[in-house]
Amino acid sequence: MQHVAHVNLAHEDANPVALEIAGLSHVYDGREGQVPALDDISLSVGAGRFTVIVGPSGCGKTSLLMMMAGLRRQTTGTILCAGRPMPDPDPQRVGVVFQEASLYPWLTALDNIEFPLALRHAPREERCRRADEMLNLVGLQGFGSRYPHELSGGMKQRVSIARGLVQDPPVLLMDEPFAALDEQTRMTMGHELLRIWSMTNKTVVFITHSLTEAVYLADEVLVMSARPGRIIDRIAITLPRPRTYEMMATDVFGRLRDRIWQQIRSPA
Amino acid sequence: MIFVAVLALWEILPRAGLIAELFLPPLSKTLTVLFQDRMQYAMAMLVTLYEVGFAMLIACGGGILIGAVVGGITLLRKLLLPVFSSLYAVPIVILYPIFTAWFGIGSESKILFAGVYGFFPVMLSTAAGIRTIDEQFLLAARSMGATVPQQIVRVIIPAAIPTVLTGLRLGGALTIIGVVVSEMLTSAAGIGYLVTSYRTVLDSPHVFAAVLMILVFSILFDALARFVERRTIVWQTAGRRERAGSRPDARVAPAVAAA
Amino acid sequence: MTRLQLILARLALLALVLGAWEVLPRAGILNPALLPPLGDVLHTLAGILMRPAFHEAVLVSGAEFLVAYSIAVPLGLAIGVLTVENDYIGEIFRPILFYVFSVPKSIFLPMFILVFGIGFQQKVAYATFSTIFVVIMSAAAAVESVKAEHLLVARSYGATRAQILTRVYVPSMMPVLLEALRISMIFNFTGVMIAEMYASRTGIGQMIENWGENFQMPQLFSGVIFLATVAIVLNEIIRALEAKCSTWRT
Repeated sequence: MQHVAHVNLAHEDANPVALEIAGLSHVYDGREGQVPALDDISLSVGAGRFTVIVGPSGCGKTSLLMMMAGLRRQTTGTILCAGRPMPDPDPQRVGVVFQEASLYPWLTALDNIEFPLALRHAPREERCRRADEMLNLVGLQGFGSRYPHELSGGMKQRVSIARGLVQDPPVLLMDEPFAALDEQTRMTMGHELLRIWSMTNKTVVFITHSLTEAVYLADEVLVMSARPGRIIDRIAITLPRPRTYEMMATDVFGRLRDRIWQQIRSPA
Repeated sequence: MIFVAVLALWEILPRAGLIAELFLPPLSKTLTVLFQDRMQYAMAMLVTLYEVGFAMLIACGGGILIGAVVGGITLLRKLLLPVFSSLYAVPIVILYPIFTAWFGIGSESKILFAGVYGFFPVMLSTAAGIRTIDEQFLLAARSMGATVPQQIVRVIIPAAIPTVLTGLRLGGALTIIGVVVSEMLTSAAGIGYLVTSYRTVLDSPHVFAAVLMILVFSILFDALARFVERRTIVWQTAGRRERAGSRPDARVAPAVAAA
Repeated sequence: MTRLQLILARLALLALVLGAWEVLPRAGILNPALLPPLGDVLHTLAGILMRPAFHEAVLVSGAEFLVAYSIAVPLGLAIGVLTVENDYIGEIFRPILFYVFSVPKSIFLPMFILVFGIGFQQKVAYATFSTIFVVIMSAAAAVESVKAEHLLVARSYGATRAQILTRVYVPSMMPVLLEALRISMIFNFTGVMIAEMYASRTGIGQMIENWGENFQMPQLFSGVIFLATVAIVLNEIIRALEAKCSTWRT
């Protein structure tokens, strides 16, 4: 019988650690007092690994991602990205892709991708070059001068990914980027994302509600409990790469997905 | 199509005697009279335009700025917005005699009155519009390392342009109305004044000539404003937070002209 | 800030404004001839409220308001619904509606005066004219706002036309219609006032215009306060009704 073992953090010593979180807890002021959102989270993500976080709604996974991105301050605990803390957003270390692409409707696709570079006042030549590279990387060559309202949902997310990667950060954080897309586009985008990831070797932390997506994409799946969010399981996905659609029909895939589901339904 | 029919009726009905000429002089007569006295009408239009221009500065300039501030700052919004929308129920025309008592019957009273007339709806509309700017835009900007000044210049201002344009169109229409109403009520100059003075001597063709000028003016302004709005469609479509069950018509209705 | 705090804050603001109105003219900072102190205005108002001439004016204006409203609303609703249901009528009215709001409707006052004279009918006619377009537009919007899915569900359960009308259209349209009633009431009020101020021998609008011309400032301000209060009270009443009926709306 196939037995999928817990991942041992010792595995990670082989690769340098890209992201390390220790003892992170977060409490916020709700209407009736203090609400514990996250409870003593510790994890480390090896460089170049694709980590997926799943959990029930409201478990705090988005908050956790915001903290990794430097967009929110945690109450206690430390976050180290490439060895340094993240008090503020740093697009050169961490790129963020949101659920709603949040592209600026008054800018073309290329202008949107360039935006982080424009903020840094990077020279025009570098901006154009990088933006073009990213546009091609995400498979949208020729669509650079389109406006967001002329792009489909999947295309908008591609632009969003390109924007997150334009400064070549070692880490890419993605908050349910495909949630607003239909099932078929989701599958295509997942596949595309893996292609982009294998070409760029980024460290990816990806949040999703879809268990299928989690198993399909991840090297490792972290399962969070309901609020206050804790990491209740780490599941190594030992499926070979490159992943294929056919793998979704295998026993191994099914068992991995069931395991995750069990954990979410009745947390240990 | 309807347009042509209306013009045709305007000519035919009075000539055929179906409507007394006193009530509706034929279009041709109206146009003739307009042309004959074109200098007088032109001068009057200039006065009116001058008044509208300044009134727009007050209504649009003030309305948009204050609307943006009140709408953007949550505390102010919760505190003041309900007050302002209650005040909207009061017919502002009743304040006009106060303006004439204070500032006389010259242009100042009309500019101030029309300015105030346009101010509230523009302010309400801008305050509402500011809130539709997707807050994700700012989050995305922050994640890309934008400083606060950069956020304001590169995100908030471009995102607010549709709202500002609507405010300009609204404010313009309302100030035109405000100026015309006040000119008709108590005035010594301007196109509204011509309407009133010719009416009192029962000179219908002259009255209608003035009415026609006003109609043309307001329609032209509206067409121009809508043209500009259409050109900026890239701003308008995406990027607005879709509210479940939002009814665009009913949100616009409170901000239209009552006069 | 809690609701209570907000209400208190607004009351404080009101007190501040009213206080300034009382103090600044009395202190001579603002010219009391132009802006009589609040106390004087209220005193004058009390006096005016007793006068039979005032009561008469209120009755006249009120009557004009009510008659115009009771014509404009049913007629406007009917036309509005028809513009949506009947393409032909829609063709006729939609372009008109498009421009109506950017054009000063008051420029048509002279026409009404020429036709009706300066009496009761003229003011009612003008106010109706003023109001009816908003009603038409809102009625059309209300009909269009009824979700197609709701209608489909009703039809699939075999509802008759009458049932669909009463059980789907009416409840769906209620909130929009109530808001339309409120907005058109504001338009109606404005229309009556403009007509009275422009050319009339009776009515509150005419009294205010008169007081203004004669620089009788305390009376003028009393009139304004009276009208403003009436307008706001009516508005809030309908708003409360709206809120009660709209609990299900997002």
